[in-house]
Amino acid sequence: MFNLEKSIRSWLKLFQKHRAFNHGSIREMELHLRDHIEDLIAEGHSEKSAFEAAVKEFGDIKPMAKEEYWNLRLKSSLNRAMIKNYLKITLRNFRKHKSYAFVNIFGLTIGLTIVLLIGLFVSDELGFDQFHANKADLYRVVENQYYAGQPVFPVAVTPTALAPSLHEEYPEIVKATRIAIDADEFELGGNKIMENEGIMVDPHFFEMFSFPMIDGSIASFFENLNGLILTEELANKYFPDKNPIGELIRLNGQDFEVMGIAEDVPKNSHLSFRYIKNFQNYLAGNPDRANNWLSNWLYTYVQLDPAAVLDTVNNKVIGHIKANNESSVTDIYLQPLTDIYLGDVDFTVEVSRKGEMMYVRIFIVVALFILLISCINFMNLSTARSAKRAKEVGLRKTVGANRNQLIVQFLTESVVFTLVAVVLAIVIVAILLPSFNQLTSKEFSLQMLVDPEFGIQLGILVLFSAFITGLLAGSYPAVFLSSIRPILTLNAQNVTIKQGAGLRKLLVVVQFTISVILIVGTLVVYKQLQFIQDVDLGYSKEHVIYTFVPSRQSTAFANEVRNQRGVVSVARSNRHPAYVLSSSSGFTWSGKDPDETILFHYMGIDEHYVSTMELRIREGRDFFPTDTSAVMINERALEIMGLENPLGQTIDAFGDRTIVGVLENFNFKSIHSGIEPMIIFMIPRPSRVYIKYDPAEEENIAATLDEVWKEFFPNAESEYYFLDKDFNEMYEAEQRTSRLSTYFAILAVLISCLGLFGLVSYAIEQRTKEIGIRKVLGASVPRLFVLLTTDFTKLVLVSLLVSLPVGWFSMNKWLDNYAYRIDLSIWIFVFAAAIALFIALFTVSYQSVRASVRNPVNALRND
Amino acid sequence: MISKNLTAASTKPIILGILKQGNSYGYLIIKKIKELSGGKMEWSDGMLYPVLHRLEKEGSIKSKWVMEGESRPRKYYEITPSGKKVLSSEMEQWMQVNSVIERLWNPKAASN
Repeated sequence: MFNLEKSIRSWLKLFQKHRAFNHGSIREMELHLRDHIEDLIAEGHSEKSAFEAAVKEFGDIKPMAKEEYWNLRLKSSLNRAMIKNYLKITLRNFRKHKSYAFVNIFGLTIGLTIVLLIGLFVSDELGFDQFHANKADLYRVVENQYYAGQPVFPVAVTPTALAPSLHEEYPEIVKATRIAIDADEFELGGNKIMENEGIMVDPHFFEMFSFPMIDGSIASFFENLNGLILTEELANKYFPDKNPIGELIRLNGQDFEVMGIAEDVPKNSHLSFRYIKNFQNYLAGNPDRANNWLSNWLYTYVQLDPAAVLDTVNNKVIGHIKANNESSVTDIYLQPLTDIYLGDVDFTVEVSRKGEMMYVRIFIVVALFILLISCINFMNLSTARSAKRAKEVGLRKTVGANRNQLIVQFLTESVVFTLVAVVLAIVIVAILLPSFNQLTSKEFSLQMLVDPEFGIQLGILVLFSAFITGLLAGSYPAVFLSSIRPILTLNAQNVTIKQGAGLRKLLVVVQFTISVILIVGTLVVYKQLQFIQDVDLGYSKEHVIYTFVPSRQSTAFANEVRNQRGVVSVARSNRHPAYVLSSSSGFTWSGKDPDETILFHYMGIDEHYVSTMELRIREGRDFFPTDTSAVMINERALEIMGLENPLGQTIDAFGDRTIVGVLENFNFKSIHSGIEPMIIFMIPRPSRVYIKYDPAEEENIAATLDEVWKEFFPNAESEYYFLDKDFNEMYEAEQRTSRLSTYFAILAVLISCLGLFGLVSYAIEQRTKEIGIRKVLGASVPRLFVLLTTDFTKLVLVSLLVSLPVGWFSMNKWLDNYAYRIDLSIWIFVFAAAIALFIALFTVSYQSVRASVRNPVNALRND
Repeated sequence: MISKNLTAASTKPIILGILKQGNSYGYLIIKKIKELSGGKMEWSDGMLYPVLHRLEKEGSIKSKWVMEGESRPRKYYEITPSGKKVLSSEMEQWMQVNSVIERLWNPKAASN
């Protein structure tokens, strides 16, 4: 028996074999055939013969497909009109689904804001020292010192004789300069001000580095032992209303002539200075130091011939110090200039401007994470709404849109969304910039964005990232939505698209995994910071204020301060308790293995220091005021020296001295590093004065000290520092990371929840009828609530399975950087999991409760 | 019977000509062509559609789906202003060919 419908359907199937035919054109052919058959039947044909005749007249499909295929390749003249239509539809969707558009754009905006901010930060960090024209050929010479029983000891400073000798001996080293850090008391018109950030350099300095001069002559500066170059900032400070060139200024009692003005050092230079002296001035005062190979105290920079190969040069110079000093245990190598700021090696006596590559990496990863989360939001919300748009897709396909056009349409939409988000993100970045600067200790300004070169670069970058984000976020929805079969969408009243639900769930899991990792990270960083701050340093840093006075007046000054109200005790030393960087390997004692070289750190103190700083004595006694050749050592030194009865033993440290006491270990460097051997001397008149004060007098102590200061030094400004504040600055990088990671974690969780919120509202919308029916059949509100929340809670639980181990592993790795670290307690993870679950549940609950208490009549009325 | 080549060459002006008289859809256009040629032009119906789609892409015609009452939806084609220009240039060319042929085969009539 002939079945017309069946025959037509199988005839239509022939078209589907050819990609050239789209849904619209196949439909058109079908209608043609049906019209024809109808006419033929009206003329008296049977169904069968009518069908056969119509098909015959319609002709062969293959040549048609060939023709249509060529049509596809023709560029459509409607393209522009179509794009216009896409934009129109996009805007219409904006207006029609405001909350959806809001969730989408808001999520993307937060994501992009963070990416922009982190981008600024990272590009600044990576851009350090890039402004030097010779950057590719510039290197700093650094040391690896090897001591018995101790790990490699990397040192950034070098001996005086190194730079000239390297330049002379190795033809590849075309230029070399010493850079010694300096601080002087500036005296002008009776006023004395202490200035630090001075440097002393050799003539190659200005040829090697790109620090431009504004005025004056470099040549005459280097011809003059008492020449001085000021940066613009200092020049304006001392000579606000006249040309400083040729003016005299006293530095530590010596007259200097200003011979040049240099531009202020850029913020992104690891080398920073505010004035420059001729290194020859130093040598004139210390002629015996010119050939010194023993004492490491200044930085050596060299410039290589561009044709030279770094490894080859390194192999040649490695033993250069040993060749000039037989007892040396020091190898040297060249460190590229651009590696200094973010270098991984933790050098002793590093320059003060130093970044951490680890944090740069962490921030990049966090930025990508957050961008990914917001893109996932976009994908999830778009595909979840696909049912709503299925009809639109169906209709577009029926009227001839092919898949590529639909993909272009959806990508257009996502790119438009992203562009809106980008504009918003830029506005937010502009608003946040001041607080961001505070957070990161950087100086980004809006002016930078308008700066032609940087602004254009940034503009291109922003547009590019918007485009990529748009494509990334729109890719899946585009491919997914365009694959919808129109027949499914146009027939039925209510379409539910189950497709893609699995992937959506997976994406939610990914989002929450990332968020929980960030939460764990934040908690661990916070805990570790607290731990650092409360760690037992072995001395007390609380309620201590300190200052510097000239050595000859230090005893009198200290005695006077001791008599003031609120002062508990006063001690002096020649080192900062948290930065003891002077060290020597030349100390010997009876029983020392002569082949072993051991590095000792040392500092000089007065008889009040141990008690004032609350150092703990393990054996022996504190210094007496009358001690002249007594020393104390720390436990680590005792361990390395291998002495059984240290008290009374003699050690040759700058002369024979007797050990009178052993101190418990205390931290005299950053607590990133472990504790090293230490020897403490009594020295006459140390110039750092430490004042332990009564906490109740905290507010008055500075004023009290000021008065004493004025008595002693009427012409100089007083300067006081709080010890615990210094300590906090040492961990600025950690604190910065802690603050930033807190914000990032909050935002990541917020964006994830936003996405979850959107997904839940959508899922509930889809189940409105189901909920209505369940209610009518007697389901209780709590029962419905559980039903609605279980699905999403499960996703969060799955994400915990992944995120907690990953968080544990990566945070353990981070903690390994610290000599003192917390153990990862289970509670951190329990807490992080609880936060994630709570927030997710809270998000889901709002919608679930709303849906559960709704009157079922409203849900069912539509049928 | 009119040869295949000639049929193919004349498709474009014929379709545009028909649409100039009023909007129409595929099946009706075919029917009209068959009517006008008295069945002398050999067409397979299906080959009309690629031509229509090409004309649409070129911008000579545009289409829209129309549903009226209970009847089947139809994809109606309409000639665009640029299509009208194409048609008049086609007409001119066909006229020229026609006049050449007439002068050759019917010299008297042509010289008059």
